[in-house]
Amino acid sequence: MQPNKLLKPGLYSEGSSDRDGATVRLKGGRCRCGYVFFPMQTYGCERCGSHGDALTPCELPANGTLLAEATVHLHADKNRPAPFTIVKVALDDGPVIRTLLADDSAPVVPGQRVTGRLAPVGQGESGETVLDLRFSIAP
Amino acid sequence: MTRSLNELRPVYVVGIGWHRYQNPSETPYVELGLTAIRSALADARIEWPAVESSYVATALLGMASGRPMLRHLGATGAPLMHVENASASGSTAFRHACIEVASGISDVALAVGVDKRNPVRRSDTGIGHLAEDAVVPFTHFALLTNEYAVRHNASAEDIARVAVKNHHNGAKNPNAQRQQERTLDEVLGGKRVSGSLTALQCTPIGEGAAAVIVASEDGIRRLGIDAGRAIRTTASVGRSERVYPPGAGFDAALTKETADLALAQAKLAPKDIDIIELHDAFTVEELHYIESIGLCPEGHGVRMLKEGALDIGGQCAINPSGGLIAMGHPIGPTGIGQIGEIVMQLRGEAGPRQHGGARTGLAHMVGVGAVCYVHILQK
Ligand SMILES: [Zn+2]
Repeated sequence: MQPNKLLKPGLYSEGSSDRDGATVRLKGGRCRCGYVFFPMQTYGCERCGSHGDALTPCELPANGTLLAEATVHLHADKNRPAPFTIVKVALDDGPVIRTLLADDSAPVVPGQRVTGRLAPVGQGESGETVLDLRFSIAP
Repeated sequence: MTRSLNELRPVYVVGIGWHRYQNPSETPYVELGLTAIRSALADARIEWPAVESSYVATALLGMASGRPMLRHLGATGAPLMHVENASASGSTAFRHACIEVASGISDVALAVGVDKRNPVRRSDTGIGHLAEDAVVPFTHFALLTNEYAVRHNASAEDIARVAVKNHHNGAKNPNAQRQQERTLDEVLGGKRVSGSLTALQCTPIGEGAAAVIVASEDGIRRLGIDAGRAIRTTASVGRSERVYPPGAGFDAALTKETADLALAQAKLAPKDIDIIELHDAFTVEELHYIESIGLCPEGHGVRMLKEGALDIGGQCAINPSGGLIAMGHPIGPTGIGQIGEIVMQLRGEAGPRQHGGARTGLAHMVGVGAVCYVHILQK
């Protein structure tokens, strides 16, 4: 079996596997002032302006509460054929992220607990499975 | 010590003009812009050499598009600068034209917005993203629509009524891109775009131009401009997004703080405003922003809409021009066109769109990034 390949390894890493597949850790950051952000960057803190050593990487569990969802019916970019559903999620650690709902997820409504997983989205050049982050209702 | 605009010398809008907002066409931008500027000069009854400084708002024309347009008015050598601030480009150009006149550096300045619908290009920040390529503006606002609907128990029909009102207003505006009345069924039955948003609840893609001329009292006297048709700018505020508390939507929070500062600057309360031109690129925005400006408590916007309080002739006419949904949103011109509409209304020259007795108007724009601009004009 070919190993899996992550679509955006700069943004997340594969965690331990459980019954529902591989869990995922988001590569966020924390500032000395306490502000938690995603993704990690070293340019400077949006809240206080500190930079450099003040900002340290911080793994964020992909667990949160759904703020909103929208199913996109029209999308110009042929690489993302519509329909697909975008979710806006407040992570438990603070940052609000927007990404895709898993194709096989049940419909979601704001207020629900959701969790991110790595889902197969295609095949790489050497036949490996490419995984990307997708959210669905928390088990 | 710093001062706000209304603590400097008074500045007035003395001329307004448009090239109609329209579907993308072969018309060069130079023709669009010149039409708007010549119409503003004619409205002010002044000649081009009287304009001492020009601010050209454009987001999509590329570098240095102003001079190839302005030279056809007669190259006077007056300074010109270009302003790009996303959807708020025109509002920002207007603010700086007002500041230049209010400060005493010039007596007469032009703010002109012109755009063609060229592709939007944004530079890479070097920071990765999960799926932002899939979250185009209408999906950003489809998400906000979902949040608003759930939080305030508003239906898709409730929110779509914003479009019915604004298409109704636009149908009476000869400068509007969309000049057709639409029923609630037509709005809801149209092509679905994202979430519950349908095509008629989204601003159309288009082109056009808008121009306003601002002047000091010295300029008005010297040039013999009709002071009775001059409308004073009594507040100008620009802000950009901060870090807001968890759960607070930045769109509404940024509008609230900008509008609060503008109202304080003009020493007015929300109830004193007769007309508002605001950034209704998508229906839900109008509800968010009237609540942020303080016309009603959060979640009460639908009630005002259904009661007709936001209609022309209602308590406060919102987007009497038709707004971005019907008048259109060619980007560079939009914020300047809002000022023109308010001036027309406060002069009592808005014809079939006239909101009776209008004395105070507020113009609001947001731009991705995010920035927010609010101006208040008073008779
Ligand atoms: Zn910080």
